[in-house]
Amino acid sequence: MSAFLEYVPGTSLAHKLNPIAKLFFSFVFAIACFCTSNIFFLLGMLAFAFCIALSCGMRKQTIGLMKAVFAFSLLLAVIQVLTTPSGTQLIELPWGYIGTGSLLAGATTIVRLTAAAIPLFLTFYVTKINDITNSVVKVLHVPYKYAFTFSSTVHFIPVFMNDMKGIMEAQTARGVEFDKGGIINKIRLMVPLCVPLLVSSVRKTNSAAIAAEVRGFNLRTRESGYKQYPFTGMDIAVMVLAVVLLGVAIALGVLGI
Amino acid sequence: MIEIKDFTFRYRESSEPVVKDINLTIPDGAFVGITGAAGSGKSTLTYAMNGIIPHCYPGDFYGSVTINGLDTVDSSLTDISRLVGSVCQDIDSQMVTSVVEDEMLYGLENFGIPHSEIDARVTQALSDMGILDLRDRTIDSLSGGQKQKLAIASIMALQPKVLMLDEPTAELDPASSFNVFKLLQTYAQTHGTTVVVVEQKIALLSEFATMMVIVDKGQIRYADSPEKVLAHSDDLLEIGVNCPRATTFTNRLRSRGIYQGPICRNVNQAVAALAEVIA
Repeated sequence: MSAFLEYVPGTSLAHKLNPIAKLFFSFVFAIACFCTSNIFFLLGMLAFAFCIALSCGMRKQTIGLMKAVFAFSLLLAVIQVLTTPSGTQLIELPWGYIGTGSLLAGATTIVRLTAAAIPLFLTFYVTKINDITNSVVKVLHVPYKYAFTFSSTVHFIPVFMNDMKGIMEAQTARGVEFDKGGIINKIRLMVPLCVPLLVSSVRKTNSAAIAAEVRGFNLRTRESGYKQYPFTGMDIAVMVLAVVLLGVAIALGVLGI
Repeated sequence: MIEIKDFTFRYRESSEPVVKDINLTIPDGAFVGITGAAGSGKSTLTYAMNGIIPHCYPGDFYGSVTINGLDTVDSSLTDISRLVGSVCQDIDSQMVTSVVEDEMLYGLENFGIPHSEIDARVTQALSDMGILDLRDRTIDSLSGGQKQKLAIASIMALQPKVLMLDEPTAELDPASSFNVFKLLQTYAQTHGTTVVVVEQKIALLSEFATMMVIVDKGQIRYADSPEKVLAHSDDLLEIGVNCPRATTFTNRLRSRGIYQGPICRNVNQAVAALAEVIA
């Protein structure tokens, strides 16, 4: 199984699309999720995003992502439920009440964040990070230094996660029990490990910078990229679809449906 | 030609120089093996030759290092890199992309190699290293040895005048290590490339190198042909450099006046020497 945010080779439609089309679709899709609070539309968007994930064989990664986003958005939803009294009162609180509207708002937040996140994360799983870098430089004229900084950051996430795993395994071999005592104990045991991880990360990023520099990093121009990223009819269709979804979301938002 | 004159370097955070009074001339097309005990200054010496010192690691730099007349202090790291291709010790950190093909393309694209040549160079270098079938694989899925081969291939594709490799076979098995050295030798002979390898496997170095450099406590102890350097096997052992046992064995026969033939670098030569002694 691939590491977090690391490219997974494949031949699906999502793999074959132009990186810019994928980025455009992901961002517009995410914006559309924030333009309306219609729970049915958002559930439809979530189902659509999950279908895209299934079509490119990313079921496992997507479920993992959904769990992570759910945990995060649940926190927001709880705060929203407790602080947004609306609809028919269900539970009375000293500072207000929890109503049907509060629960709907909480559920909307969870569905919205999960739906918005899936295409963004999928883009990284189905696109080589180098293709993202090169295409934004060639097509969108983003300066290479900024694009490279972004791609290096994404590239190093799995590297540092592997490092952390290695450090934890070394500690486990010395008798440290990460599995016992629940999440609080695990965090308490992991905090001191951040120092060696930080040292190793600084060393690795420094070595990577040197490695890039001795391979002509400073000579790179917009024309340097070997690969071309032409738009096909399918790329255009995908971008049009994103715009249509955004249009529907805006319409629903404006009409208050 | 690489010329190092009276070179001394102290890292900014160190109190003592890591290398001192280095004088070394490496002719074009030489295959140079640098070895020595851990912490002896081998890597620092190569950093000086590929411009990483002083451009990336600041410190006190005395003397001069020139590559084909290009002074490494006055020239930019990019200009030096056009001449010198470097394979670093930490292979994982050297990978700047996530897919084998992209890693191969990175340097070629940056140095502006004509697009019409790029595919042929990538295919040739991957094929030479025996990893052409890995072209579309993600780097994360490669073994340590495959990553090392990829790192070497990505530099070979650039066809530099000087190849500088810091422990390029550290994660390879003996057979693969031998193959990599054989390939480097063939490549150097074909392209007239100077190869400088830092390596702990002295038996391999002595087999392929035309010149061996032994570094001890920041200074060059020996810089000569492998035969002449290996003649000092007992001395080398004292400074933490283990010669092949065949060499040590026949050198001791020589010191007792039993054997007078050439220096032996491998078991076959030692067997022949022993047969000569017995006869």
